[in-house]
Amino acid sequence: SVRSQRNAVFSREQARQRALYPRIEKIEVSMQGPGLDGTLLIMNRGMSTPLSCARHLTEHHVTNSALALVDGEPWPLHQPLTRSCSLTLLTFKSSDPTLVNQAYWRSCATLLGQVLETAFKDNFTVDLLSVPEVPVTSGAFCCDVVLDPQLDSWTPSEETLRSLTRAALQLIHKDLAWEPLEVTPSVALEVFSHSRCKQEEVEEKAAQNPKGTVTLYRCGDHVLLSAGPLVARTGLCSQYEVMAIHNLGQGPWGLHRRVQGLSLPLQLKGHHTVWRKLRQRAEKLVRTTKISVFYLTNSSKSSDIKAEGRGQLRGGGLLVFWGQWSCLDAGSK
Amino acid sequence: MRLTLQMLISHGRVARKMGLGPQSRINMLRNILTGLVRHERIETTRVRADEVRFYAEKLIDYAKKGDIDEKAMKMANFWLTEKDLVPKLFKVLAPRFEPHSNSYTRMVRIPNRHNLDRAKMAVLEYKGNPFPPLYPVKKDCELSLINQLLKGYREEREQQLAAKLQSQLK
Repeated sequence: SVRSQRNAVFSREQARQRALYPRIEKIEVSMQGPGLDGTLLIMNRGMSTPLSCARHLTEHHVTNSALALVDGEPWPLHQPLTRSCSLTLLTFKSSDPTLVNQAYWRSCATLLGQVLETAFKDNFTVDLLSVPEVPVTSGAFCCDVVLDPQLDSWTPSEETLRSLTRAALQLIHKDLAWEPLEVTPSVALEVFSHSRCKQEEVEEKAAQNPKGTVTLYRCGDHVLLSAGPLVARTGLCSQYEVMAIHNLGQGPWGLHRRVQGLSLPLQLKGHHTVWRKLRQRAEKLVRTTKISVFYLTNSSKSSDIKAEGRGQLRGGGLLVFWGQWSCLDAGSK
Repeated sequence: MRLTLQMLISHGRVARKMGLGPQSRINMLRNILTGLVRHERIETTRVRADEVRFYAEKLIDYAKKGDIDEKAMKMANFWLTEKDLVPKLFKVLAPRFEPHSNSYTRMVRIPNRHNLDRAKMAVLEYKGNPFPPLYPVKKDCELSLINQLLKGYREEREQQLAAKLQSQLK
């Protein structure tokens, strides 16, 4: 199947990258952080990860660190270190958690994408589009997806959202690690050989990256693509809920849907009153800079559930600008 | 024992005894209270700090009446043995606690005294003193995830209210 093929290619590439360091070479990692300034650790090149550095310190560092900063650059916790550097372990409660927050939002969105891939029956195809980079203040993380054309008229119900939430919580409970792997675009294209839109996304990301490589992440047996670093494990999320599925209109691949969710990490649990208020806000559609104006026909029986945002827009024959894709004609659909 | 109303009702007389007798007790408390008004943070035994707390807060309540009030001036004159603290009480401490209505003091227990008696010690202070805080108040960072989400929520609410007001005005 598609999943096992992707998994096999990922494992093969991972084994090949590990075999690049046959003999153990030592590197010096100097730790920065509260109470740790100047601690020097001697680790192995190509094998030790920031997580193994944390294990040399205390259990608190292992359980609470979400992201690492290597020489000022955000670095996933499970990616091996390749040179002597200075390392800072970031948690959700550190003095500047903006990078950690963004990484957490991205990880929750990729988790949502993984849940959607497994949720539907095998005869329906699910195409994950690129996860839009949403700031945390917008209130919800989103995952853009294109479902099988047979499901174009399907309207998701409350119970659908609840079962998706349950699936996500099961994944969180399994506490799977997001293993990063930096690969050349050719390997990434081989991994996603079954999905044309994923291949386009790979090319786009490779063009944006100055190094020309693409980072793949594996969670359990799913291989996913991501724009930036993700947090260490799924177990770091505690409260997770899939809030709403909005229809964005027809795009180049089919009917685009935006699935939105809300989540809070284990160390920043929210009281139920706060959670309820944030949930109410997360149900509303999150607009990103890619989509400047929405296309809503007067006659569309739009299947957004809980779409309060609709009242503000007077639709009818507006152009949709979709980033680098061509503008769609107003008269169509 | 913690002096509570319930204890007074159930056990009868529960007033503490200090020193040689009731007069000695009042004099001791007067001295401690004078030290507190002068230094705004003092270290004594736990029991004395607990007793002084009540009188310290009552003194502030009297000071709030103003130095023109005769009763207030008499009280201040009696309780403060060093008379240069009477203007400090009326001019510095009373305006500081004007917005607050109840707790003006804070009592924090510290490790026992290192003498032979190993007495239980406490630090008593008036709130708003210029010294560094006794226990630093740990506030969640403004940039943490939950605070950023709440900030977005608040901004959206403000926008909605502003839009509603505008539509109502029109």
